Amino acid sequence: MEEFFQQLTNGLAVGGIYALIALGYTMVYGVLKLINFAHGDLFTIGAFLGLTLLTTLGLSDHLGALAGVIALALMVMILVGLIGFLLERTAYRPLRTSPRLSAVVSALGASIFFQNAVMLIWGARPLVYPHSILPRTAVSLFGMEVPVVRIIMFATSVVLMLGLYYLTHKTKTGTAIRAAAIDQDAAKLMGIDVNRVIALVFCIGPALGGAAGVMVGLYYGQISFTMGWLYGLKAFTAAILGGIGNIPGAMLGGLLLGVIEALGAAYISIAWKDAISFLVLILILIVRPTGLLGERVANKV
Amino acid sequence: MKKLIHALVLALVLSVMMAGVSVADTIKIGVQAPLTGKYASEGQDMKNIVDILAEKLNAAGGVNGKKVQIVAEDDAFDPKTAALAAQRLTTGGVVAVIGTYGSSITEAAQGIYDEAGVIQVTTGSTMVRLTEKGMKYFFRTCPRDDAQGAAAAKIIQEFGSKRIAILHDNSSYSKGLAEETKALLDPSTIVFYDALTPGEQDYTAILTKVKGSDPDLLFFPGYYNEAGLLLRQKMEMKWDVPMLGGDATNNADLVKIAGPEAAKGFMFVGPPGVNDLDDPATKEFLATYQAKHKAMPASIWSVFAGDAFNVIVEAIKQTGSTDADKIADYFRTGLKDFPSLTGTISFDEKGDRAGKFYRLSKVNEKGEFILQ
Repeated sequence: MEEFFQQLTNGLAVGGIYALIALGYTMVYGVLKLINFAHGDLFTIGAFLGLTLLTTLGLSDHLGALAGVIALALMVMILVGLIGFLLERTAYRPLRTSPRLSAVVSALGASIFFQNAVMLIWGARPLVYPHSILPRTAVSLFGMEVPVVRIIMFATSVVLMLGLYYLTHKTKTGTAIRAAAIDQDAAKLMGIDVNRVIALVFCIGPALGGAAGVMVGLYYGQISFTMGWLYGLKAFTAAILGGIGNIPGAMLGGLLLGVIEALGAAYISIAWKDAISFLVLILILIVRPTGLLGERVANKV
Repeated sequence: MKKLIHALVLALVLSVMMAGVSVADTIKIGVQAPLTGKYASEGQDMKNIVDILAEKLNAAGGVNGKKVQIVAEDDAFDPKTAALAAQRLTTGGVVAVIGTYGSSITEAAQGIYDEAGVIQVTTGSTMVRLTEKGMKYFFRTCPRDDAQGAAAAKIIQEFGSKRIAILHDNSSYSKGLAEETKALLDPSTIVFYDALTPGEQDYTAILTKVKGSDPDLLFFPGYYNEAGLLLRQKMEMKWDVPMLGGDATNNADLVKIAGPEAAKGFMFVGPPGVNDLDDPATKEFLATYQAKHKAMPASIWSVFAGDAFNVIVEAIKQTGSTDADKIADYFRTGLKDFPSLTGTISFDEKGDRAGKFYRLSKVNEKGEFILQ
């Protein structure tokens, strides 16, 4: 029983990261119906930018651990948001009226470009975040050892997700985003600047991915230029599991995927862990093709 | 449009022919290495080492009066790309190929070299099967897994372990080594045997499960990235079971990833590390390397690429020819105890490097690898 709860917390912590990255996929898909395959690499860029800022500015020395980490995360979010904005301008906007396949190919190209750019700038060896920034203590919860950093990490994910939910559902900007997601032409007629909405989505999504990159770097220590691929794939799966285009769905999908993986590894087989998670994905898509929280959208006739 | 294509084809053919003419007085040696992809760091170290040696050789007049030209192809640590790289190298007129890193990657390329009659000297592919196929032109300067499995099993027995957990990563190398070792151990002492997925960051779910089997030794014959993360997360779980790794954990980055505190006490079976090479000529070479690239080669595997280069050049010099049959014969019968970077080199009948390498190293509190 103890092992079960331990695995549950393991799964939730990883799931929180998946969910955070999945939000970027789902937001872009919701508005543009485009899978941004470069999203995983924006996550990698976040991790590397975070390390560079951390070591060059010495933030945690000036501000103390917690404030330093928050300042770091904010700076990375702004920078990665900016890269996302430029990505949309250069790689996606010129193709917006082209067949959808062109945009998907462009996204794959952007992904390969970013991955190799990171390798050329920061080198091919895995880099390591300083080990002593966050407190390395663990608290005992019901006989389990849960590292404090894990709790902080999970809490940060939840706060960022709730913030995004508030933005999209309670503010005027959010209403504009949702309107553009439903029908861009109608939104234009209602006086919404759709280009601005899309640019905004391409800032927020990558910013969250960048924040996830910093969190992964701070917690796991090791970052490498290829890490975006596997995380991107898992987050993409999480977005589909929850219903792509649906923001609470991405959160649910991410957490669920983390937990399925952890429990699959614990009770079935470690080597079959990924096979099990993807089997669950296939089963859910067969039973509920729109994902867990996705709604069936009526086709316009 | 058709005319344009014709013109392009003609230009291509001409440029290929001219390239052939202009390098007729050089000897081309290929390097197949993961220059991009997951193990790009290993591949780049390999190429850097071979480049330095080639530069030195050319500055001293080359071999048999000809300069050596290094042609590098990237295999991205991917079997499909490796086959393409092998095809490009064989059609590009190389007399021999150095590399690559990774048994499954070598396996995808070795048949192509063998059929084309090109000598291949691999540097970081330890799977047994590779030399058991009886290929005439295939050699390796690194040792192989069965020798390592025997060494690992011996160390585990000497360690007096009664409950052993074995965790591999399903790659040809890792699974091969895990099985070689398992076969030599008493089956009743193995309490856990399974594989993880390489490339992830979070192995706590797996460690929690391994911990459930209550082993007194964790054997992980995998790569250094995952080993570093396992060590670190194991420490954060406050689980202090001793961990033993295979030769692919013989990389200084392991300590950086795990942190010296978590890496302390980690043991691995492997050939000596870069820092254990004490031959004066090797030390001098490593100093040149460090001056040029601001760091030592991270692992011994890239240094084996330097060995491969040295033996190929030696064979060309001694046989006075670049003919693959003559070089292969010389490797099997003529080359005896040739001094190179990692020690003396001879090849046996199968093309494996002769001699014993495996020793136990342990990480001390400063994060240094100490030979036991």
